[in-house]
Amino acid sequence: MFLGGSGAMALGGLTTPAFAEQLRKERKQVLFVWLDGGMSQLESWDPKPNTPFGGPFRSIATSVPGIHISELLPNCARAMKHLAIVRNISTQDNSHSAGVERIQRGDPKNRGVVYPYFGSAVAKLVGPGDSGLPPYVWVKPMSGGFMYKDAGFLGPKYGALALGDGKPPENLLRPTDVTSDDDRERNELRKLADSRYAANRRPDTTEANSYAFEMAAQLQKRIELFDVSKLPAKDKERYGSHDLGRHLLLARRLLEEGVTFVKVTSYGWDTHGDHFNGAANLHPKFDKPFAAIIEDLAERSMLDNVLVIAIAEFGRTPRINGHLGRDHWPEAWSACMAGRGIKRGVVAGKTNANGTEVAGEPVDIGGLFHTWYEALGIHGDKVRYHNNGQPLPIAHEDMHAVKEVLA
Amino acid sequence: MKPPVLRGKPIVPPSQISRIRFSPCGKQLAAASHDATIKRWDVTGTEPKELPSFSGHNGYVASLAFHPDKQRLFTCDTWGRLTGWNYLNGKVIWDVPTAHDGWLRAIALSPSGDTVATCGRDGFVRFWNATTGKKAGEISLGVDLFAMAYHPEGKSLVVGDLFGNICEIALAKNTVERTIPVKAFHLLDRIQDVGGVRGLLFDAKAETLFASGAQPKSGGFVQAFPLMQAIDWKTSKPGASWKAPTDNEGFIHDVGLHPDGYLYAVTSGQPGNGSLLFWKPGEAQPLFRTNIPNCHSVDLHPDGKYLAVACTNANSSGNGRAKGKEYPSNYSPILFWNMGSNPAGARFSWSKSRFRSGVEWDWSLTRGVRLA
Repeated sequence: MFLGGSGAMALGGLTTPAFAEQLRKERKQVLFVWLDGGMSQLESWDPKPNTPFGGPFRSIATSVPGIHISELLPNCARAMKHLAIVRNISTQDNSHSAGVERIQRGDPKNRGVVYPYFGSAVAKLVGPGDSGLPPYVWVKPMSGGFMYKDAGFLGPKYGALALGDGKPPENLLRPTDVTSDDDRERNELRKLADSRYAANRRPDTTEANSYAFEMAAQLQKRIELFDVSKLPAKDKERYGSHDLGRHLLLARRLLEEGVTFVKVTSYGWDTHGDHFNGAANLHPKFDKPFAAIIEDLAERSMLDNVLVIAIAEFGRTPRINGHLGRDHWPEAWSACMAGRGIKRGVVAGKTNANGTEVAGEPVDIGGLFHTWYEALGIHGDKVRYHNNGQPLPIAHEDMHAVKEVLA
Repeated sequence: MKPPVLRGKPIVPPSQISRIRFSPCGKQLAAASHDATIKRWDVTGTEPKELPSFSGHNGYVASLAFHPDKQRLFTCDTWGRLTGWNYLNGKVIWDVPTAHDGWLRAIALSPSGDTVATCGRDGFVRFWNATTGKKAGEISLGVDLFAMAYHPEGKSLVVGDLFGNICEIALAKNTVERTIPVKAFHLLDRIQDVGGVRGLLFDAKAETLFASGAQPKSGGFVQAFPLMQAIDWKTSKPGASWKAPTDNEGFIHDVGLHPDGYLYAVTSGQPGNGSLLFWKPGEAQPLFRTNIPNCHSVDLHPDGKYLAVACTNANSSGNGRAKGKEYPSNYSPILFWNMGSNPAGARFSWSKSRFRSGVEWDWSLTRGVRLA
């Protein structure tokens, strides 16, 4: 199974510094920030102050003349010169359970297969690069593990390595009472057992099992990545001490080390009640570290390589319910992106005056998937998956990229 | 003893309401509205008669306070504007467009009537000359501030914040004299700080401070138990408290002190949930309680004979939209309740009523039910 598209070169030990720098420049990476539950577009990227559903907050000017965003995102307003906002997203599902899957799998036409999450797709289409690290790393609150279901028909190998609370998987390091020779012998024995086990089973399953061990071995060599004590205090302050801040700071380190796809999830955005106080508290905790990582990536010239996306499963209703909350709203919402292949300082699409409908042509998630693939140099009209002989488009074939945000 | 009963027809303004207050002369009812206006009604007749609204604010009108001189009204909004009005002729006395940076959450009038205090999301408490609107001082507390009350002696002001702290500001020194933490009012859920001290009120003798809000159970949906907590003013020690039995009921959104010594309050929680209740401090259960959906403000008329409650229409929530239909907005019906004679000594349960939407009301469904 596979495709045309890019192939990653292994660095091995044969590179010159100049060649390594060239390879670094050619990296294709993604930072995918998932605000689980749904961030309100009206209190972020598409404010409608002083309108019936506009809520209590003001809009503020940004570093790009003519573009205004919510006062709750002052740091993003400063970073707007690097950002692109899509304000005309209209998707199909207003429930979390289905919406999360549909958005992260791109909601393609139903062909009887489970499409991969965007992270798994990029892990497959772009490859692991030269980092020696897993290609799809998910930094999330709570528990971690290997999330094979993300990979869909690509097979478990392309699942996500989830770092619970940004920590390395438990029991990663070799116990001190096991020598390296003993460890090597044990692994040889494990591989032998694996090969016997695999002989009469589907290769996907056994490959994933072996892959998990390989990943653990890779991470053992890079355990310093998780040592936050070595990070400058100024960076910790800039990103914040809460989960989202710490996890975005770890994401920066993982991207610097060459991980192809880093997903950072923040939970708790489903503000059905006391929404405006919730937004007043939550949105700044996104604003500060998100703007910080954008500016850090820009300063390191990494925005040329890293596609950055901030999105959720939907936005939030214009109508304000009796609990002073906003409910689920897939009809007309926004996402933000930046970096590789993306124009800087632009807004695409718009909603009507009260934010209740898209004004003009809406963009569904399939269109965003085309946009992101195009930004990564992967062209949906040329690249196909081949699933056991079944050719499959990488994104909904009736949809197209949002040209206004493509560089 | 008779329970309070609904009186007359409700007012049905076309927008949602943050705060309602009767004028001290008893002739007007004013409502701080989400459409950036202050709506007003003449309540001298048998039915409220709408008066011209006051405009000039932005965002939401967050709160309002009448001056006891029976002429002035002070209003504030979520964009930071503070305005003084002559509510008799509708003229602006003074106007401070940027009294705070953003959400100005609360207004308190000094007992002398000379000073208007304000607090907001910007973490500042500011003082304004009530006659001229000129700034008379400020103090930064550095955190999101929700509620305020002057001590009746006028020497200090208490301010409640997002984290459940109540600060006493000594006005002569302009310093924080003490901080009373009531941690039940705050929860850190994932990365969201939830809750806060939403209301502050002294009793008539100025011996007890009442803090109100909720004990949050979660962020996001904000499941929360409405909570009122008495605090001994002299010792800062917690006294009597009342907490709603379920976490669907959200916050105490507004509270007042009845001359008979009990508190009247309203709650709003998950859409459709809310109540009007009377609580006598020290009692385990409210004297009276009735379901009214999502109440955000309550005020007792100066004659003490009736009170007004701003609630929310039914069916106020819902994901997505109904295709092909006009997108609905919500609004805040204002109900009037005749007060019975002294409710102390009798108890009422809350009814299992449902509240119907629109202007056709089934009054029997909203009446309190007396316990056997």
